[in-house]
Amino acid sequence: MNYLIRRLVTFPLVMFGVSVLVFVAIRLVPGDSITAMLGTEAGLLTPEQRQSLAVYFGLDQGWFSQYWRWLSGVFSGNLGISVTYGKPVLDVILERFPLTLELAVLAMVIALGIGLPLGVFAATRNEKRSDLAVRIFAMIGQSTPSFVIGLLIIFALSAGFGILPAMGQFVPFLEDPLGNLSQLILPAMTLGLSFTASVTRISRSAVLDVLGDDYVRTARAKGAPKARVIWRHALPNALIPVVTLSGVEFGYLLGGAVLVEQIFALPGLGRLVLDAILQRDYALVQGSVLFVALNFMIVNLLVDLTYVMLDPRIRLGGRA
Amino acid sequence: MTYGFTRKLLGSAAIVASILVATAAPSFAATLKMAWAQDATGLDPHKQTAFSSIRLLELIYEPLVRLDADLKTVPAIATSWSFSEDAKTLTFKLDPKAKFHNGAPVTAADVKASFTRILDQATGAAARANYLSIEAMETPDEHTIVFKLSQPDVPLLTAMGSINAAIVPASEIAAGKIGTQAVGSGPFKLEKWEPNARETLVVNSDWAGGKPGVDGIEIRVLPDENAILAALRAKQVDFALLNDPLVATLVPKVAGLTLNRKPVLAYHVLQLNPSRKPMTELKVRQAISCAIDRKDILDTALLGEGEVTGPLTMPGYRSDPSTLFCYSRDVEKAKKLMADAGYAGGFSATVIAATGEPPTAASEAQVIQSQLQEIGIKLDIKLMELNVYVDTWLKGDFDMAVALNGGRADPYSMYNRYWTKAGNLQKVANYIDDDLDSLMQKGRVETDPAKRREIFSAFDKHLAEVSPWIWLYTGYSYTAQQQNVQGYVPTPDGSLFGISKITLK
Amino acid sequence: MKAFFQSLLRHPSGRIGAAIVLLYIIVALLSQAGLTPYDPLKQFRIERLQGATLAHWMGTDMFGRDVLSRLMIGIGQSFLVAFSSVGLAAVIGTLLGLTAAWFGHLWDGLVMRLMDVLLAFPAILLALLFIAVVGPGTFTSILAIAFVYTPIFTRVVRGPALSIKTRDFVDAARSFGSSTSYILTRHLMLNLVAPLTVQVTLALAWSLLTESGLSFLGLGTQPPNSSLGLMLADSVNLMEMAPWLLIFPALAVMLGILGFNLLGDALRDILDPRMRRVVA
Repeated sequence: MNYLIRRLVTFPLVMFGVSVLVFVAIRLVPGDSITAMLGTEAGLLTPEQRQSLAVYFGLDQGWFSQYWRWLSGVFSGNLGISVTYGKPVLDVILERFPLTLELAVLAMVIALGIGLPLGVFAATRNEKRSDLAVRIFAMIGQSTPSFVIGLLIIFALSAGFGILPAMGQFVPFLEDPLGNLSQLILPAMTLGLSFTASVTRISRSAVLDVLGDDYVRTARAKGAPKARVIWRHALPNALIPVVTLSGVEFGYLLGGAVLVEQIFALPGLGRLVLDAILQRDYALVQGSVLFVALNFMIVNLLVDLTYVMLDPRIRLGGRA
Repeated sequence: MTYGFTRKLLGSAAIVASILVATAAPSFAATLKMAWAQDATGLDPHKQTAFSSIRLLELIYEPLVRLDADLKTVPAIATSWSFSEDAKTLTFKLDPKAKFHNGAPVTAADVKASFTRILDQATGAAARANYLSIEAMETPDEHTIVFKLSQPDVPLLTAMGSINAAIVPASEIAAGKIGTQAVGSGPFKLEKWEPNARETLVVNSDWAGGKPGVDGIEIRVLPDENAILAALRAKQVDFALLNDPLVATLVPKVAGLTLNRKPVLAYHVLQLNPSRKPMTELKVRQAISCAIDRKDILDTALLGEGEVTGPLTMPGYRSDPSTLFCYSRDVEKAKKLMADAGYAGGFSATVIAATGEPPTAASEAQVIQSQLQEIGIKLDIKLMELNVYVDTWLKGDFDMAVALNGGRADPYSMYNRYWTKAGNLQKVANYIDDDLDSLMQKGRVETDPAKRREIFSAFDKHLAEVSPWIWLYTGYSYTAQQQNVQGYVPTPDGSLFGISKITLK
Repeated sequence: MKAFFQSLLRHPSGRIGAAIVLLYIIVALLSQAGLTPYDPLKQFRIERLQGATLAHWMGTDMFGRDVLSRLMIGIGQSFLVAFSSVGLAAVIGTLLGLTAAWFGHLWDGLVMRLMDVLLAFPAILLALLFIAVVGPGTFTSILAIAFVYTPIFTRVVRGPALSIKTRDFVDAARSFGSSTSYILTRHLMLNLVAPLTVQVTLALAWSLLTESGLSFLGLGTQPPNSSLGLMLADSVNLMEMAPWLLIFPALAVMLGILGFNLLGDALRDILDPRMRRVVA
């Protein structure tokens, strides 16, 4: 069977597995959403009050019927009501998503904008001192957790300049472009830096590979200038692994960057999921994790498609 | 190349800096821009328990009476009140000028309807237990309401000062609209509420209490306190509520910002479980009390941001800590008490604490662990997520617990749930003796303030001596403000009602 | 084996990586043997929040505990979590991958679909969910990281195993009457050692990173014990007052991960020069 068709067929199956896993996992967590909502004051609830809250949030029914209700809701776009926010789960997710999406895009732009030229440059300077410098930068960049980078940036800014980036509430780009960028540029740099390092490394070694290939050597032998050879021949081929890697990374970023959002106090998807887990907001955990997983899988599928388009020679049948 | 990149990085940081400065325009509008970390969870004043909700509703609704900066009862909707000689009748005169946001005057019928709703079990009112002594209500005229009580109940008056006893229009109750629409009689009207994002309040120009100093309030919810600090620094916010002392202490370092500190009623405490061995032994509990250095915990975990306290934390009743049992550390005495109780070699126990609630809980547990080690007690710290902690706490399923418990303006209302025989949290306290119970009952019926103070002072002393819990200290409530904000007066119950007196320069 | 070590030491990043990893292992062992300058839990509360001094080379934290000692214990803790979780994931993943390739059919389908489900989550999210169920702690972080990394090992092993399975020498061994388990262990493992070694090293780097992240969120190692992530979390509100609380643990995390990454790179070059693609 063709690999792509098989991927498409198993897609709903995997989503089903994801939904069951999430549904069961959150219910195994000790504590329920009512105590999570009220804290120590839950001790003052009468049994009747507790029961009426449980009925309201549908917590009084069996697991199977809860799951069934939720699943049938999912197909009509109804992911349930969030206990913490008191509104539809989908609304809550869609409120958080623009920030996550913009952050992901900005981080990708930074990583590709810096990493790709840097990698190509290093490849052309193979084994020279500047190549070594780029490689050391890339290695260190790849080895630093993004939250550590974020902490160091915040420290440098607040200790050195006495300023902190505007944190907290998301400023949408269309409302206030400058405010939006000033808010997101640092987190995006934080997120983008380690990926910049990866892109640099991958594009460097890919360009080096291609430069060693016969057809490039032939082109060079025919007297094509080096820059032209790199831009016309080497780069497009080197792009293939970069595209794959970018796709996977983008998929991750769309799931929200819990740690970086936490440090910069940004209300993105990652913190939404974390808070929802801590608050035992069943419907919200289910909905948001499903949303993240769906994003992740769709992006990965698209990556595979792009892969085929960029390089038809690759026989995908063998990969699984 | 690496150098070039570093330069680029610094360059963009500078650009960011300039953008930040550019957006930081000061505001001269008479709208107070405010921020807090936690949003209200609902609009029904009778049902809200979360502090975050109460903070908002206090600006919109009014109870009969209010508590001032010293927790003394002062007029709100009621202009005067009196107890009968036997403390079984409580009469209020209402302010004839008081009006709801819908224009209707506040009448005795509204008060009666409100308390009927609170007392109705089906409502699920948060503080219903505090008003159970109300047997009947009479409305001799439009502006007089008389509460007939089943037994003497002096703390009832203070309990009436809670927003959980807010007066709402009888018509709104009948229409079933309490909680969906906020129609109160307070200084501000709720114009817009986006949960967990922002609130818009506009001034109520008909407010009987006078004219507030601002035309409106814009409240932003910034879930992280560091973010609030950043917003203050960038002058995007005039006034903010802070909880984390570590963040609050950074405020005075920023030019132009002022930090207001007010000791609060909520107390940090090490709860022992006297139903578990060896805390069943009075001497072991006392040894723990003597081995704890309260000031040291305060200095380490809260960077000194608080005041050592005994059980009673309200200004009128607070006793001098040095008069209480073993409030200055005495390790020798502690060791001797341990030996007398037969635990010279010490013992092992587990202490539970909630992660992040309060933010200092983990630090407190660690200092306590190190202090108790000196008398041979080996503590194992178990950090739990808040709701797991709450479940465990409510079941009384712990050896020791680090807790931050809420306080009330009246000692009886504050502690009857723990330290009376019928207290509904007896299974959390796990300790009661006849002295505690009888002192509480005496305090409930005594109308003479001086005698009440005497009764509760004895209660305070006795509780510290039998040491079921080790009371540590109270923290501060913090508000931070820009220079243009004036006239704010904080209160120990953490109320933000003082905002109604704020003016903007 | 000797040749392998020689080529590792000749490889520049292999040399540096091995040196860093060795240093960390020594520090970790020293700390576990109790050979830190001070007791890492001992609170010298009078000396709290001091910068670097002769007595405390990396300063003290808010309890007056010695930062250097805590850093050493933290490295020990991080290594404990990293090695245990990667070991666990490698064993379980290899077993699942091998059996899936060997038995094929229903079992293969079942195992690989399950792995697909697990891989449909971003890694940190899966770890969070796992910890929420089991409760935070050192042991839980080991399980959570192993849980997240198992599908990757399964995939890494299954691919080569599948292609080796069809090769003649396995058939030949089988016709000579060797038992199934003998063939599995002997022939397949030999051909899997290279990709597994590389994957293990990279997994260790990732595991260090994840452990520090989880502890930073308060979900990993619990106080008063120390771990690098926890030290970073504690430094957040104090960073302006006491920057050493941030800088030293941050450098320690970076250097540790760097060591494993360098080592992994070198191993990949030496063991499998064709394998250039970075695996997740």
